[in-house]
Amino acid sequence: MVSVISSVDTGHEDMIHDAQLDYYGTKLATCSSDRSIKLFDVSSGQQVPIADLRGHEGPVWQLCWAHPMYGSVLASCGYDRKVIIWKETNGSWDKLYEYSNHDSSVNSVCFAPHELGLVLACGSSDGSISVISTTGDGNWDAKKINNAHTIGCNAVSWAPSTSPNALFDQGARQQPAKRFVSGGCDNLVKIWREEDGQWVEDQKLEGHSDWVRDVAWAPSIGLPRNVIATCSQDCRVIIWTNDGTSNHWTSRVLNKFSDVVWHVSWSVTGNILAVSGGDNKVTLWKESVEGQWTCISDVNKGQGQITDQRSSSVEPNYNTRRRLDL
Amino acid sequence: MALQWSSETFVAELKDLQANAMAVDCLGTQAVLAGKKTLAYVNLENSEEGDDGSNVTRVARQSKWDVNCIQFNPHASHAPLYVTACNTRLDVCQLSDRNGNPVCTLKAHSRIICDVDWSPFDVNVVASCSVDSFTYLWDIREPKKPVHSFQTVAGAYQVKWNKVTNNLFATTHEGDIRIWDPRKGNSPQQYIAAHLSKIHGLDWSPDNQNQFVTASQDGYVKLWDYTNPKKCFGSTDSGAPVRRARYTPFGAGLVTVVVPQLKRGENSLYLWKITKQSDMSPVHTFVGHKDVVLEFQWRKQPEGSRDQQLVTWSRDQSLRIWRIDPNLQRLCGHDGGDSGEVDLTGTSYNSSESTLKDLRDLSLSEPTMEDEMEISVATVTMAQQARSLQQEFSQLNTDIPNITLDQMDPVSRTCRVTGVGGGQKVIMECLFPEAYPNNVSPSFQILTTTLDAAMQSRLLKVLSDTSVKFVRRNNNCLEMCLRQLMSILDSMDDRRSPESEASFTRAPPPIVQATAFNILPMYSLGNFQDSSVPFPRTSGARFSSNGFLVAFGVPAEMKKVSGGAEITPKALSELAAFTQTSWNNTRTNPFSLVFSRSPPTPSSDMSISDFFEKKGRQRSSRHSHSHSLSRRPKRQERYGEKLSSKKQLSVGKVKIYDVEVLVGVNKYLAQHYKMDLDDVEGTCRHNQSAAAAIGRKDLVQTWSIAATMASRKVLPSPVPQMEMPWAMTPCGRPLLKYILDQHGAQFDVQTLAMLCCLFWTPDPPRPRARSQAQVPRSGSKVSLEFTPPNYNPYHTVSSVTGLLKGLRTRHMRMSTFEGGGSQSAYEAEMYDEGHDSAVAKSKRSMSWSDTFDTADDGRSSNGLESQEELEKLQHEDNCKMLDPAVWEQYDRYKLAYAKILYNWRLFNQRALVLKFISTPVPQHKGVEFAVCCHKCGKEMRGPQCSWCKYPALQCSICHIGVRGLANFCLVCGHGGHTVHILEWFKSHSVCPTGCGCNCLKENLFGG
Repeated sequence: MVSVISSVDTGHEDMIHDAQLDYYGTKLATCSSDRSIKLFDVSSGQQVPIADLRGHEGPVWQLCWAHPMYGSVLASCGYDRKVIIWKETNGSWDKLYEYSNHDSSVNSVCFAPHELGLVLACGSSDGSISVISTTGDGNWDAKKINNAHTIGCNAVSWAPSTSPNALFDQGARQQPAKRFVSGGCDNLVKIWREEDGQWVEDQKLEGHSDWVRDVAWAPSIGLPRNVIATCSQDCRVIIWTNDGTSNHWTSRVLNKFSDVVWHVSWSVTGNILAVSGGDNKVTLWKESVEGQWTCISDVNKGQGQITDQRSSSVEPNYNTRRRLDL
Repeated sequence: MALQWSSETFVAELKDLQANAMAVDCLGTQAVLAGKKTLAYVNLENSEEGDDGSNVTRVARQSKWDVNCIQFNPHASHAPLYVTACNTRLDVCQLSDRNGNPVCTLKAHSRIICDVDWSPFDVNVVASCSVDSFTYLWDIREPKKPVHSFQTVAGAYQVKWNKVTNNLFATTHEGDIRIWDPRKGNSPQQYIAAHLSKIHGLDWSPDNQNQFVTASQDGYVKLWDYTNPKKCFGSTDSGAPVRRARYTPFGAGLVTVVVPQLKRGENSLYLWKITKQSDMSPVHTFVGHKDVVLEFQWRKQPEGSRDQQLVTWSRDQSLRIWRIDPNLQRLCGHDGGDSGEVDLTGTSYNSSESTLKDLRDLSLSEPTMEDEMEISVATVTMAQQARSLQQEFSQLNTDIPNITLDQMDPVSRTCRVTGVGGGQKVIMECLFPEAYPNNVSPSFQILTTTLDAAMQSRLLKVLSDTSVKFVRRNNNCLEMCLRQLMSILDSMDDRRSPESEASFTRAPPPIVQATAFNILPMYSLGNFQDSSVPFPRTSGARFSSNGFLVAFGVPAEMKKVSGGAEITPKALSELAAFTQTSWNNTRTNPFSLVFSRSPPTPSSDMSISDFFEKKGRQRSSRHSHSHSLSRRPKRQERYGEKLSSKKQLSVGKVKIYDVEVLVGVNKYLAQHYKMDLDDVEGTCRHNQSAAAAIGRKDLVQTWSIAATMASRKVLPSPVPQMEMPWAMTPCGRPLLKYILDQHGAQFDVQTLAMLCCLFWTPDPPRPRARSQAQVPRSGSKVSLEFTPPNYNPYHTVSSVTGLLKGLRTRHMRMSTFEGGGSQSAYEAEMYDEGHDSAVAKSKRSMSWSDTFDTADDGRSSNGLESQEELEKLQHEDNCKMLDPAVWEQYDRYKLAYAKILYNWRLFNQRALVLKFISTPVPQHKGVEFAVCCHKCGKEMRGPQCSWCKYPALQCSICHIGVRGLANFCLVCGHGGHTVHILEWFKSHSVCPTGCGCNCLKENLFGG
């Protein structure tokens, strides 16, 4: 049963723009228009404040946790054009690195799969995307893709390292795919790949009729396909799929919502997509065995209710059983 | 970019005007702003004194059309004459006593007029062009009809007279230019295909009759000589569409304006230098306008003035005058003659100070604008570019609580400060280097203090961080540093008596300050630049990596101000527009004329929470609320001191949902699943009961089928000839694949990975060729490995040869099948093929089967051997329940599941799963010892032979393979367990094997 296990009163003084649990689901990070980032320990079911990170000079838009193999590392980005990477050492949080090479608000940060090292991509309203990486000795290196999206870049999301990729499958199988997807104000979704140390545009996906607000590359469970979810100001969510061998992406509109869609998020196995937007609602979508997307529940945060349509979520399992009765 | 700061001397905000066009007369005394409803005459002459509003005269005009362009007569004798273009009509007016008296109206165009230009040579002639494709020349003494008309195919957007020679003008048509001479009929003198997209601006050179500059949508600014229409002689890509490019009246320079929509960053007006090689290099950026500059004109300066002035009108509805001092002019290649001894700070600063004083007076006399003024004063002092230290000291706002300035000495460039607060006292000295504030920060030294060492170092760090941040932009930093000092002292006070907040039951968490304490907002929301910043998310849901969903949003009792009907805005700038409309209505004085020479002043500190209001509340009450909000002296507010109740109201709780049930992978199962390859059937049964325990009937079904499939009864025989392996029956590999596909479709990576692990058959320790280079029969090897998934071994040649060999036995067995009559159609087909056409098929076979046939014929022992081996290999593959052709895919399932297990911190289970990965581990890159396996003699890497699985090193003393620490001699290669070797060499110096190597000596020598 879907249940609320914890309800955290953050104590932020202004709107919250992002909330993220860390890798193990023990720490919650929230960021807000009050320019602060707050960290809570939620492992016990209660909220224990850990830290209050101040360093941004404007609203903080988005957060991203790094893989725990790099320690407790959190990246944040905000309106003040900065990306700050925070790190915990011996229980105290401090700034590890600050990147301020963007000319406008930085809207999105995303850590790459840990196999690629401590690598971070960020997209800004100045239209560029930066890929920041560290060698581990305190030196940071940034590669900037200028004019990645005309007007502005709103979201970035990395491909899972094990994602099937036509380029890498032959021969160099071991090399993890280094790709990410971005969405911007030019209504485009673009896939980027690293080639000889340079980031080049791999694909350009056209489908949205207004600003793309978020992109999410689905995690891979080993199936030979790539899936990307994108959402846009045009109130639509589009699922893009690719068979992993060709360069062809097919698009499919998940649903047209009543208000702007701000965010899409995949569950860990990539079977459920959480969609949220300007209507202050969260809906969960699941792909059935037949490949149809259905809404399986409605998290209405306002009332703190969850309208769980259990039957439909369990149904596929019964389907399977029937089908297995040979 | 030069380290120069231009100063604007005059700023007028004319909010209500909505003017699109602006013109400055040729004497530099008047400016006209034309909006839809009003014309405003701004007196520039006494602009620097006071602002009682007498400078601006407004005249209402009745028209439903905007004024597209407006221009004064460039001849001093007719200076008050100006022409406006409004839709299809031109109006010539005479400006007298701050009112425009119509002189005549020129009407001939059939569509909207895009540009007008007075002839610089004939006082009565004006040119106009329109999208109706006509360009007309008018004589204002004969306003009935144009004196000349020139038609083109495309509409004309710009018309500009040559400034040097009479009877020459240019028009632009999308990306093309035409040069005309009115004496030579109505065909153009020259065609130039200049740009790829629309040309927004054209300007003739003031000193070369052949040259002009164009600015275009394609982002290029190009320099042309119309006698050479093929190629421009200079161009630059500014990266964004350029609206205007005009020559400077001094030196060789250009001023450009960038087109609004695609503009990012705060600077939209640039000064360029044209080098001798016709390259353009940026010289200066005019910072100040908060929106795109619509029009700019050079203002004529009185004789003897070295400064130049640029008058700009921006969409932010402010008129600004920028002084371009001789230094800046020199950067554009202008030689002012005796300009060597110009003192930059002297004269210019007197005037700026007076403006500042005006501003303060103003803020006192105008109580209604108090809040705005306060911000302005603050930013003026903050951003005042006092280049001399004395200037900075004199302008310093010394009224900072708890901070006293004991001593300020601009000569020795030091200043001493005492700060008291939080029960602590600090006396500090600041030392300002010569180059300050041009990217050189002052140094701070604590003279005496009651602070402890940690606090001292923290204080110094904060101060140096703050100063660096300001001097990087060549700004003064003293005041900000003092404010930092104050806030640090105050914060220590806070720390001693932490306020107990209701929401926090425990002590408040440590506040980590990364850069600076709470300083003024550097960035305020709602600027025009925000047009490209997406509207902030106020709700969202994010899956975490282990089955939780984090959701946040606006509380249910809040609703959007706009109501639910329309969709949420797209850009942050729309928030500004949204909140300001209601705010402006309540203001008593809508026409604010503000004198200030400050760079952008932050607009009122708005927040995204302004977008929401409490349900059921009346709209009017919101007005008063937001009004009072905006009037609050924001800049003195500090965190924790005063909280906006409204903002807090709109902060909802963050909820964490457990959605594991939906995700398809189960932690309980992960903990309770068993994985025992020795008893696969038992493992499946165990897993089945585990699934039953949590009510997953579908999984129970799967595991029970799996258990049946893994039964010992159907284990394949090791001998190929015996019978068809179970895996090849429909209930073997195809069924398993079907089950896997089903779980794959449900993203049940847990079951997928478990099945893949349990049905994984390890390769026996034999020299299997994974790499192609290894084996002479590499061709066949490849074809074996990469057979299609639905591969039927009995159709392939190797099996056919096998059939040939064991035809008799097989035949007999199949006959019994036939006799039994119970076999499936599939088997019958098998039989048919096996029985009837096996021989023929092998004969027909095209490829390498022929070679095997010949090998059979030759009966060469070598051929036989390889054939048998091949057969065995094939049989082993066939016995596998999982198709070896797609092992890579199955490995991916395991990897993905291992990742999830890691997430759950089930490290043992993860290690178990990873054991089944057949993909070789990535090869170590680096220096390694090349080792030969002492058993099979193959070269290998790592601690274990990949062929015989024997440890790489054998201890020379105990003759057991070394698993732990090892040492060996680099010369003879003998060695073994570190303990044994150590012991041995305590008493010996030669190799324990007796090979005669003097290991100790050799290695010493080598080392």
